[in-house]
Amino acid sequence: MGGEGWLFLFAVLMAAALLFTSVFFIIMFSDLECGEHYMNPIDLCNKLNQFVVPENLAHAFLCLLFLLSFQWTALLINAPLLAYNVNKVVITKTHTFDATEIFRTLPQHKKESFIRLGFYLLSFFYYLYRMIVALISESE
Amino acid sequence: MSQQNDLPPGWIAQWDPTHQRHLFIETTSGHQQWEHPLETAGGPLDATVAPAPAPSGHGKRRAYAVGQTHAYDGAGEVAPYPDAAGYGAPVQPGMGGAPAPLFTPGLANDQFAAQQQAAQGQGYYGGSEQYPAQQPAYGQQQPMQYPPVNQLADQFGHMGLGGQKPFALHTANLVATPPNPLELLMPPPEIRLPPGASITDSPAANADPSYMRSTINVVPTTYQLLNKSKLPFSLVLTPHRTLKSAVNSSVDDPPVPVVTDTVIARCRRCRSYINPYVTFIDGGQRWKCCLCSMSNEVPQMFDWDQARNQPGDRWSRPELTSGAVEFVAPTEYMVRPPQPLVYVFLIDVSHAAVQSGMVATATRTILESLDRIPNDDNRTRISLIAFDTALYFFSLTPGSTETSMLVVSDIDDVFLPKPNDQLVLNLTESRAAVETLLGRLQEMFQDTQIIGSALGPALQAGFQLASTTGGKLITLSASLPTLGVGALKNREDPKILGTPKESALLQAGSPFYKTFAIECSRAQVSVDMFLFAATYTDVASLSCLPHYTSGQTFFYPGFNAARSEDAIKFAHEFGIVLGSQIGLEAVIRVRASRGIHMSAFHGNFFVRSTDLLALPAVPPDQNYVIEISLEETLTTPFVVFQTAVLHTTCFGERRIRVITLALPTTSNISELYASVDQIAVATFLANKAVERTQANKLEDARDMVQKYVTDILGAYKSNMTGGGGAAAAGLAIPTNMQMFPLLALGLLKHVALRQSSQIAPDLRAYAHSLLTTLPSQTLIPYLHPSFYSLHDMPPECGTIGDAGVILPPLLPLTSERLVKHGLFVIEDGQTIFLWVGRDSVPQLIMDVFNLPNYEALRGGKYTLPILDNPFSQRVNAIIGKIREMRRGPYYPALFIVKEDGEPPMRLWALSALIQDRGDQTPSYQQWLGQLKDKLNGSSYN
Repeated sequence: MGGEGWLFLFAVLMAAALLFTSVFFIIMFSDLECGEHYMNPIDLCNKLNQFVVPENLAHAFLCLLFLLSFQWTALLINAPLLAYNVNKVVITKTHTFDATEIFRTLPQHKKESFIRLGFYLLSFFYYLYRMIVALISESE
Repeated sequence: MSQQNDLPPGWIAQWDPTHQRHLFIETTSGHQQWEHPLETAGGPLDATVAPAPAPSGHGKRRAYAVGQTHAYDGAGEVAPYPDAAGYGAPVQPGMGGAPAPLFTPGLANDQFAAQQQAAQGQGYYGGSEQYPAQQPAYGQQQPMQYPPVNQLADQFGHMGLGGQKPFALHTANLVATPPNPLELLMPPPEIRLPPGASITDSPAANADPSYMRSTINVVPTTYQLLNKSKLPFSLVLTPHRTLKSAVNSSVDDPPVPVVTDTVIARCRRCRSYINPYVTFIDGGQRWKCCLCSMSNEVPQMFDWDQARNQPGDRWSRPELTSGAVEFVAPTEYMVRPPQPLVYVFLIDVSHAAVQSGMVATATRTILESLDRIPNDDNRTRISLIAFDTALYFFSLTPGSTETSMLVVSDIDDVFLPKPNDQLVLNLTESRAAVETLLGRLQEMFQDTQIIGSALGPALQAGFQLASTTGGKLITLSASLPTLGVGALKNREDPKILGTPKESALLQAGSPFYKTFAIECSRAQVSVDMFLFAATYTDVASLSCLPHYTSGQTFFYPGFNAARSEDAIKFAHEFGIVLGSQIGLEAVIRVRASRGIHMSAFHGNFFVRSTDLLALPAVPPDQNYVIEISLEETLTTPFVVFQTAVLHTTCFGERRIRVITLALPTTSNISELYASVDQIAVATFLANKAVERTQANKLEDARDMVQKYVTDILGAYKSNMTGGGGAAAAGLAIPTNMQMFPLLALGLLKHVALRQSSQIAPDLRAYAHSLLTTLPSQTLIPYLHPSFYSLHDMPPECGTIGDAGVILPPLLPLTSERLVKHGLFVIEDGQTIFLWVGRDSVPQLIMDVFNLPNYEALRGGKYTLPILDNPFSQRVNAIIGKIREMRRGPYYPALFIVKEDGEPPMRLWALSALIQDRGDQTPSYQQWLGQLKDKLNGSSYN
């Protein structure tokens, strides 16, 4: 298996992991909203805040790999999300969840998580496709 | 009183000072009406309005020599000077001279009152309409006229104190109807529940509006209907209000009845508390919940009188007769035994604080208030930490007067120098030591030269002291926190004021104040902030702590205790806060009938769950606003809202205060409009605007207010007046909302929101904190100040009437009412302006200020002397009444504003006259014009 194959295999795994984080976020938000398990917003925010930066870092790392391996299409697909994340984490620093505002901003957060989920899902299949293409072209 | 004698048997008359008229009550049925019973019955009323007795001498009122008037008048004509006119305007010949048919100058007070009452049966304006001679300016120079008496009386009929007539919606034309400030004192539209809704038919089945009121007193059955009307739907709550009556200052409102037998009937499914709107089924063995229709068992002891150990009367239980009730909670409602009251004082002792006299005033006030701090169970504990760039702890020995000071200068990692229990002491046991310490604190630091403030570390230390029990951190800070955690930068930059960037200054400058607030809220610690500063102190960041820990913020810009006015104001407010009966470790939950959902919350608390508000402390007279959304179609004839406040009283009892409000439902949009409570709508809008400012920008908040007004007017126009046509000439609004556009304009012109590059961010931030915490009774004057004329007030004003000191009639908020020789009061509950005209007669200045003439008078903060003349005493009585008539700890400072005095002072006072045109803000008429153009322009046709 050549470099491209390995790269997209890694990307598939990353996308799967990111997919799971998004699902996790959505579940947590729904729990908070329904209040069924009596989720404390302070604990919830502390818990979720631990995952925000790693998630964004993972995504940025993937983009870096695409850049280094000259995968322009893959990089282009990820660029908007990367820009959005950089703006949020580095420039405006609004990436953490604020327990005092969480109930007011909950719908927004849920919406964002759903969009991320959709994006990761699509990119998952794209990476899978690219991996298979790479494997086939190698074996030929 | 004669009024009593004129009544048919079975009726009593009750003086209602809010409306300056009598309320007539039929004792047998409890029926109330404004009209005199004989009048409504068509009885002969002529007798009661017969002309008053002939003038009987000038009595004790003050007359001014003709010479004075003459000198002041300037025009060689000696005008007849009607005694009652006080310092009136030059009287026009042929107008003031002729005695008015109804008013007779010089009547003794009680005679006069009788006469006044007699006239009151006729209409709302009886009180002011009958003094033509006293108010020469009235209706003469002013284009503005109150609507005729009959019309208003008519409206009163519709406000409905009668039976089950359907809601009559009356449309007013805003452009043609000048705003009438008296309308702000009217009760909200009546709640007309279907007969038999309440099982006990008690008049108190619905809580008083001061506890809980709704923006609309009828609930639309569908979301679409609410949306179509564009009306906001929210509840305005003040569950812990003080009992100070809004109506009569000499009598308190009845306290909330307490259920002491710990029999608490709650619905199994929705956990709501039993209330007057449940129904008993199965012969009284079970009750059906009015919120979720669940059938529940009646508790065994429900019909047992435990106090007398005999069967009791179910129908007399307070929870079935009263909409506001308090249950003593059994141990199931406690996570831990009720906590004692713990006050930790954090006192800034840096150079600025000591020099301004804050330390001395604060310690003296605490010392004087030690007996008023709630301590019925002798468990109250207090502690004191002083801080500048280091922290100073005080270890006291119970029973002796010894104190030792412990200095902690490591502010990066705060630790307690001694165990908790040696620093937080029982107030009763350590009283002597506490008194010595407070007496000496000022002395200890009086020569300090230290500049800088480690407020953050001091808060952390205070938190460590209080967190084991929960309690209150009372913080007094006189400078910007500069050291340790929570240090803030001076963000104030005159260049960005008035620009979109300004909004950033109104948001917290350091995340510490939010994260720490959350920690506090968790440990049941509440923080009160008293901020004193000569310069920028970042109220926006510091007020975050009280905001999320349910404390209160007080701000004293430029505080200097050498000015007695400053010292008195602070000492008064601080004393009230210390002495108030607060609740502790509280949660608030609002439940409602099925299909109704609480969607957003405004006020000082932490939202712990979608419908649960956490409050480490519940100060009295705090306001909370809860937005409501409709999720299902309502099928019941009425719906019920129930607020429950589980709290620990400051005497160590766990209690649940339950406030119940039932509102009828409707599918008719005109009933919806007819039931709008404009006071509640304005309260909601103020809270919403502040939230918008803090989340977005000031412009967004202003646009939002504007949009609400346009939307409501537009929706009303298209739904109720059939759009365009004849109605296009004016601006249609339901009569019960006539003051709403002016209140909204008051909000837009308020220091909290006004477009201006002159307003210090600290003042804005403080105004925001007030807008979100003041109860409606205090909030409305804050948006729409009260304006009185003193020089020509009717003679009974300033004297004690049936309900305390009688205030002069309210004037509309326009400077057209100011006259050069006049003396006026403009007050918004936080400040009182005494406006002195430049041509005031020397005698007036002498009588009120004890100064020879207008030139000798200086503008600014002032203490009014109490002089040995009736006019001075009346003016003082009025100022005194203004200071104490509203709920809340605030003590408005008095400012003298000279007509030709310093421009900033004058502009400040005149900015309270919200109907006038401002710097960048339109006048009321212009604004209505803008609204009209907007409505006629586009989408609302």
